[in-house]
Amino acid sequence: MSTYILMKVLEYAPSRYDKGIRVLTLGGLERAYDRLTSHIEEGQKVLDLGCGTGALTLRAALKGAKVKGIDINPQMLDIARGKIVEANLASKVEVCEMGVAELGGERRESYDVVMGGLCLSELTEDELTYALRQVKEILKPAGLLLIADEVRPKSISKLMLNWLIRLPLVVFTYLITQATTKPVMDLPEKIQGAGLVIESVRLSRMEDFIELVARKPKGG
Amino acid sequence: MNLLKFLVATIVETLLRVLPFPCKTGLVKIGNPDRNAPVLLTCNYHLTVERLRRALKGVDAYLLVANSRGINVWCASTGGLFTSHDVISVLKTSGIEGLVDHRDLILPQLAATGVESKIIGKKTGWKVIWGPVLAKDIPAFLQNKLEKTSQMRQTEFPPMQRIEMAVAWAFPISIILAPFMIPFWREAVFPFISLVWGLSFSIFLCFPLYSQWLSPEGRRVGFIFFDFGRGGFQLILWGAIILGLITYSMAVGDFRWGFILRWGFMSLIIVLLLSIDVMGSTPVLKSGLHGDRLLKIHLDERKCKGVGVCEQVCPRDCYEVDRDRHTARIPRARRCVKCGACMVQCPFDALYFQSPRGEILTPETVRRFKLNLVGKRLVKVEGRL
Repeated sequence: MSTYILMKVLEYAPSRYDKGIRVLTLGGLERAYDRLTSHIEEGQKVLDLGCGTGALTLRAALKGAKVKGIDINPQMLDIARGKIVEANLASKVEVCEMGVAELGGERRESYDVVMGGLCLSELTEDELTYALRQVKEILKPAGLLLIADEVRPKSISKLMLNWLIRLPLVVFTYLITQATTKPVMDLPEKIQGAGLVIESVRLSRMEDFIELVARKPKGG
Repeated sequence: MNLLKFLVATIVETLLRVLPFPCKTGLVKIGNPDRNAPVLLTCNYHLTVERLRRALKGVDAYLLVANSRGINVWCASTGGLFTSHDVISVLKTSGIEGLVDHRDLILPQLAATGVESKIIGKKTGWKVIWGPVLAKDIPAFLQNKLEKTSQMRQTEFPPMQRIEMAVAWAFPISIILAPFMIPFWREAVFPFISLVWGLSFSIFLCFPLYSQWLSPEGRRVGFIFFDFGRGGFQLILWGAIILGLITYSMAVGDFRWGFILRWGFMSLIIVLLLSIDVMGSTPVLKSGLHGDRLLKIHLDERKCKGVGVCEQVCPRDCYEVDRDRHTARIPRARRCVKCGACMVQCPFDALYFQSPRGEILTPETVRRFKLNLVGKRLVKVEGRL
C-alpha cells in the first residue's frame, strides 16, 4: 500500500485525483472507506477531516448523515462541491476550506462521528496532538472516531521492506511535487492518549495501513 | 561542534539544493524571551531554520517553524505549499498564544506570495508584519521598531548566492551523468566533471556581466528553454572552450578533429543543460520556463488607497507610494519578477496582471491558483497565450 505516496502527485493535479487513486490502490482504499462508513447511521452529524474530493463525505451523506467536510486545498474542495451537487446531496453536506487547527471553533459535543481518510498522515506532530484533543472535545459522549490512514509498521522486518518499496516512489514523487507523505507512528497509542477508547483496529498485511474505530467514553 | 554541524548541513544541502530538507515544526525559543518578546515565523526548510538561529544570536524571541514541506519560504509559498493554513496551524497548535501578551506576528517578506495576512487576521486575531527578506537583517529590523529599509525589502543576487546556485546545478548534473560515462569512457569522467563545475561557476559568477541582456520579453513560446540573452554569454564561453581545445592540441603537437569534436559536443551539451533556466535560478529575474513571464503588473488607480502594502512586500522595489496623495505608482515595473506578492496582499484588490493579449489575471486567481510545475495557474496562463 506504499502507493499512497504517489497520491501526492495526484493531489497536485486534483482533477485527476479520484481516477488515479482507484488505479493506484486497485480499489483497496474504496473498500476500506466502505468498511469505515458502515459505522455511520442515518441522521447522525458527521465531520470529515481532510475531506479532499469528498470520498468519505459522500459515502456518509448517502447513508443519510449530515456531513461537514473540511480541507485546506481549495481545488480539491471545488471537485468535492461538484460531486455533491451531482449526487443531489447539497442539503446534507457542507464543505469548508479550513484546517484541523481551526477545530477549536466547532461547538463542543456536537458530532456523532468524526472521520478522516488519509488526513492524519498529512499533519505535523503538534497538529496531530491538537487535532486529537479537539476531536475528543467536539464528539458527543459515546461518539465515534473513524480513521483510515498510512502508519509506520511496528515489526522491524516489515518496516525495512516497507522502506525498500517506498524509496523509489518517494524519490519519484519528490521530483514531481517536492512533497511526501509521512506515515503516522504509534497512532493507536496517540488516540488512547487523547482519551478515546479503541474499539477495533484492522492493519494491512504489510502493517502500513490502518483502519481504526475509537469511541469517546460515555462519561465524556 | 555546532559550527561543524552547521557547515556539514550547509554543504550537503547546498549540493542537493533542489531537494527539500524538512525539519521539525513548532515552537523554538531564541535566547530568553518574555511575554513581550517578538514572535517570528519561518518555513521548515532545515537550512533556513539553522541560518535563522545563527542570525538571531543575542536576540530574545520566539520562533515558529511552520510546515512548508521542507521547502524554502519563497518557493513553498509561491508554489502553494506554504499557505495561510500552515501559519494558522502553527499559531494554534504550538502553544504560542499562551506565552505572549501581544498578537504581532513577523512573517518573512517572501512568504507574501502565498500567505494571506487578511485571512490570518480574520481567523486568529494575529496581526501580520512583513519582516525583511534576509535573516541577517532581522536584528536591525527589530531594533529599528519593525521598520524596513528599502535594502531589506529587496532580493539581490550576491556572489555567495551565485556560488550556491552554481553548485546546485553542477552537482546533480555531474552525479547523474558521470555514472553513465564510467562503462564507456572512463578516462573522460574527471575532465567531464571539471568542465561541468567550471562552466557552472563561470555562468553564475559572471552573471552581472550579461544580466542586462537577459529578458523574457519578446521571446516566443516554443523557444523558451535556453536562457542565453542577446549577449549569448554561454555561447561565447563555449566558443572560448573550442578555441582552447584547438590551441591545446596544436601546442602538444597532436591535432585530431575527433578530439575537438568530442569535447566540443560534450561542452555544448553541458552549456545547454546549464542554460535551461538561468533566469529562474536567480531571485532577480522571472524564470524563462513559466507562462507567467509575459504578464505585466497594472494598478487600478480608482481602487488604490495608497496604504503601501505593495511597497512592503515587493522584493524588487517596483513601487513608490505617495503618502500625501494616497496613491501608489509602479515606476520600476521593468524589474518585476511576477511573484504576485503585491496582488495577493493588496487589501483593495487594486492590482492585476495583464497578458500580452490583454486578458486580465485577477488577484483572486493569483491567490487561488499557485504557481507550480503542474499547477492550474500555469496551465491557465499558457492556454491563453
